Amino acid sequence: MVTREDVENIALLSKLFVPEEELDSLTQSMQDIINFADEINNAPASDEGFDNINNLSNVFREDVVVPSYPSEEILKNAPEQGEDHFLVRNRA
Amino acid sequence: MKYELVAGFETHIELQTKTKIFCGCTTQFGGEPNTHCCPVCIGLPGTLPVLNREVVRYAIKAGLAVHGEIAEVAKMDRKNYCYPDLAKAYQISQLYAPLIIGGYVELSNGRKIRLHHIHIEEDAGKLIHQHGDTYVDYNRGGVPLIEIVSEPDIRSIDEAKEYVEKLQQVMRYIGISDCKMQEGSMRCDVNISVRPAGSEKLGTRTEIKNMNSITNIAKAMEYEFERQTDLIESGGAVVQETLRYDDATGTTSSMRSKEDAHDYRYFRDPDLVTINVSREEVEALRAELPELPADKCRRYIGEFGLPEKDAQLLTKYRAISEYFDKACEGVKSAKTVANFIIGQIFRRTETESDKEVFAVATTPEQLNELVKLLDSGKIRNNLAKSTLEKMLDSGKGALEFISESDMGGVDEGALLELCKAAIEANPKAVEDFKNGKEKAIKALVGNVMKNSRGKADAVAAEAKIKELIS
Amino acid sequence: MGSIAKIHDMLVSKECSCTELTKRYLSEIEASNGELNAYVNVTGDEALRAAKLVDDKIAAGEEIGMLEGVPMTLKDNMSTKGIETTCCSKILTGYKPIYDATVWELLKAQNAVMLGKTNMDEFAMGSSCENSCFGGAANPFDTNHVAGGSSGGVSSAVGANIAAYGLGSDTGGSIRQPASFCGVVGLKPTYGAVSRYGLIAYASSLDQIGPITKSVEDAAIVFDAIAKPDKRDSTSKGSAGETYSQLSNDIKGMKIGIAREYLDGVRDDVREAVLEAAKVYESLGAEIVYFDLPILKFALPVYYIIACAEASSNLGRYDGIRYGYKTEHYTGTHDMICRTRSEGFGEEVKRRILLGTYVLSAGYYDAYYKKAQNLRGTIIQAFNRAFEACDVILAPTVPMTAFEKGHATSDPIETYLTDICTVPVNIAGLPGVSVPCGFNAKGMPIGMQLIGKSFGEATILNAAYQYQQAAPEKFMDTKWGVKL
Repeated sequence: MVTREDVENIALLSKLFVPEEELDSLTQSMQDIINFADEINNAPASDEGFDNINNLSNVFREDVVVPSYPSEEILKNAPEQGEDHFLVRNRA
Repeated sequence: MKYELVAGFETHIELQTKTKIFCGCTTQFGGEPNTHCCPVCIGLPGTLPVLNREVVRYAIKAGLAVHGEIAEVAKMDRKNYCYPDLAKAYQISQLYAPLIIGGYVELSNGRKIRLHHIHIEEDAGKLIHQHGDTYVDYNRGGVPLIEIVSEPDIRSIDEAKEYVEKLQQVMRYIGISDCKMQEGSMRCDVNISVRPAGSEKLGTRTEIKNMNSITNIAKAMEYEFERQTDLIESGGAVVQETLRYDDATGTTSSMRSKEDAHDYRYFRDPDLVTINVSREEVEALRAELPELPADKCRRYIGEFGLPEKDAQLLTKYRAISEYFDKACEGVKSAKTVANFIIGQIFRRTETESDKEVFAVATTPEQLNELVKLLDSGKIRNNLAKSTLEKMLDSGKGALEFISESDMGGVDEGALLELCKAAIEANPKAVEDFKNGKEKAIKALVGNVMKNSRGKADAVAAEAKIKELIS
Repeated sequence: MGSIAKIHDMLVSKECSCTELTKRYLSEIEASNGELNAYVNVTGDEALRAAKLVDDKIAAGEEIGMLEGVPMTLKDNMSTKGIETTCCSKILTGYKPIYDATVWELLKAQNAVMLGKTNMDEFAMGSSCENSCFGGAANPFDTNHVAGGSSGGVSSAVGANIAAYGLGSDTGGSIRQPASFCGVVGLKPTYGAVSRYGLIAYASSLDQIGPITKSVEDAAIVFDAIAKPDKRDSTSKGSAGETYSQLSNDIKGMKIGIAREYLDGVRDDVREAVLEAAKVYESLGAEIVYFDLPILKFALPVYYIIACAEASSNLGRYDGIRYGYKTEHYTGTHDMICRTRSEGFGEEVKRRILLGTYVLSAGYYDAYYKKAQNLRGTIIQAFNRAFEACDVILAPTVPMTAFEKGHATSDPIETYLTDICTVPVNIAGLPGVSVPCGFNAKGMPIGMQLIGKSFGEATILNAAYQYQQAAPEKFMDTKWGVKL
């Protein structure tokens, strides 16, 4: 059972605002999807387990320095920057 | 009622690999902001992590150094939380299958602080708050960390301090981290609760973050212990929460805000594959480990007969113990070497960081040569001491300051003559001694030493004088 | 002959220059994109610069490779240095990557001529392409119909001959489904065959990049070019071997399996077209074997649980700090992040983030995510057993043909059901290729899917090619674009 509180909580975890007036319909919509997902509870119990698709292991890089990017490149797409930092300006 | 403190530690240690955990950027501390960055460590869309092999090796060494069990299969998980210093909004860490399981740190009182596990993970970037603005620098983002999670086995602030010092010491010994708390390469979170002494049940705990020195850890724990005790005694209850320690006021305060919902939604990171650790690799890494401080300390006490305090001083930093070990090679008494180091050389390395580096003008080989001269009876202790000072001033060897004529000591016959002469010259001292003034004998021995230019054996001289006048 | 080989011959024989050819494509895009909305960003200058390089090479008498100078497109979720890459989401508005995706690096090294970036459902979440912040792409067979999704733009562009080929990505059917809707070939490779480095993640354990082309031989050529192991993607392995040279292998005796569950709930015209294709295979000497795969009925919920869980984590990084959209008005960092995300993401993306967060959250992880992962193991085993009895599995790609624009139902679950035939392949990490196999009464294309063993691309492309040779009338051209 998905509750309004569940939806509020997961919205907070997801960093999304849900307007008060949409909360009920969203709760219902989530409930429908969860009912659909609950279908898996009818699946036969399995102990096959799953690790990763091709059962790969031990893929590593060597500890060798690769030149970093210039900070202008790193900051190029920042909506706001200042003093070579990414910046969240106080708008309050 | 008497209350007991119960504490456990979560200790983050930055590994000194050359590159970050998932990309080739340097791990060097400092650097202009956002200059040790690439698309991977600033989490640009589409980038993928590739695990640095050396991080796994360093972590295994750390595990071996604290008697942990190295997992045969380890996996990487995502810890999801959204904060501006975390470029991907998740930290790649380990929850379900960490690299090291168990282990312990043994304290001087014989208690073993058990470890729950050690895992590898990436560090976050750094935030600077200024006038309400937030500046973000990702240079530190992706620097490899190990997190050492202890069981709640710590029962006092002294134990807490020793636990942290021991971890710091052993991780520095094995060369995986400089463990500088001020620079943030070692950081501790403490879980702390109190309970009536003798009780087995754990109380509600709080977690204190943000402590950048052992002194602050002690102060914060002390404050928190009293706060919780007062709260319980006055009929209140401790609330499980995360606290920040404020160095300026010496108090703790809640870090919680309604914006933090704490549910990390850990799940296996699909971008990284399984880590399989072969037993051969573990043994190869074990073979690379130096003798650990606890083992060295035991050896110095057991084999060399050093007092525990001296053994601890000599093993505190790897550089000192290596110096000591070299200087001891082939000498009759390691205790003599220890005395020179603790008594004289330590005065030249006053600060802890000097001691850690232990860059002294006299090489361990030079000290070894000096001690061997002493061992062979060619020179006496006083001369050795003064010579060492000159050596430390100049960096030159002992033979630069000791002439042929200084060496050879004083034989039985000559010593008898010197003692007789001393008695002859100081009737007053002889009289005083005979009247029970024990100390008067020192003047007579001093005379012998002076006339032998320090070559005579002061202990033998004292015995001989006593024999002559009594 | 496939489009790629044709263009290669034209360039080598100097029938036309690469620049002329590129200009023809660009002018066709200009003429038709208003209606098709396949491209969201046309990069004419870059394309002509690349074409010039190829012309210079040809003029200098140098040999050129098969893909050199061939005008193509990338789905807008592949990172292209200096070229805006948006995933068709408001939240990535203005984002110009500072690095290239591995696939683009590989193709660029072969002097591919990229005409532009193509439309998609926002963050590849959708089956109609209508979840794009730029509006949906139209179906070249009938522009009142959707192109399908999420790689709707690539399929539309290839189907309309305004790109010779394109790369799409497939998480739950996003290459095969629009390929089926637009009457083109779409290959979803084995997980790990193609590097994901630079592919903006939707669900990391399911995403794969693959070609969308006019013909099977084109798909083989492009797949061979991009299926390389990549040190930057820990999960990449490259392909098992060249596929192009094996297209003409005789398929006599090949066992083609049909799982009855794949035909359940499929529209009659689609089922008939697939069964007719089975007959074509029989005429080519292949053997049809029927079997049951009951576990398939759990594939869809398993897919949505895993995909949404991974997506909720992958999409956490869009916070208005490092790139992309940032809200104008806010009161603090937390508020800024929430507003940016709430304004920047579309409804379907938000729905999947919330669902993914839910199934991973404390108290639900075991019941949903962990259980789904276990079932994933069971599904993989079931496919392994199926492949003991057959070489290739034949199935419909989609239970229906392209629907009319705006008719994608508002019921998310009904929409999710359109993925029922495509998701099992992603869950099991297998290769699958969608090939045109007929038309419905309204003339809309129907696609069939050939599913292979892990790293069995050569086998399914071989089977697909043999079908194409036997039934060329199913591979129909549209009125649009460049006529080669």
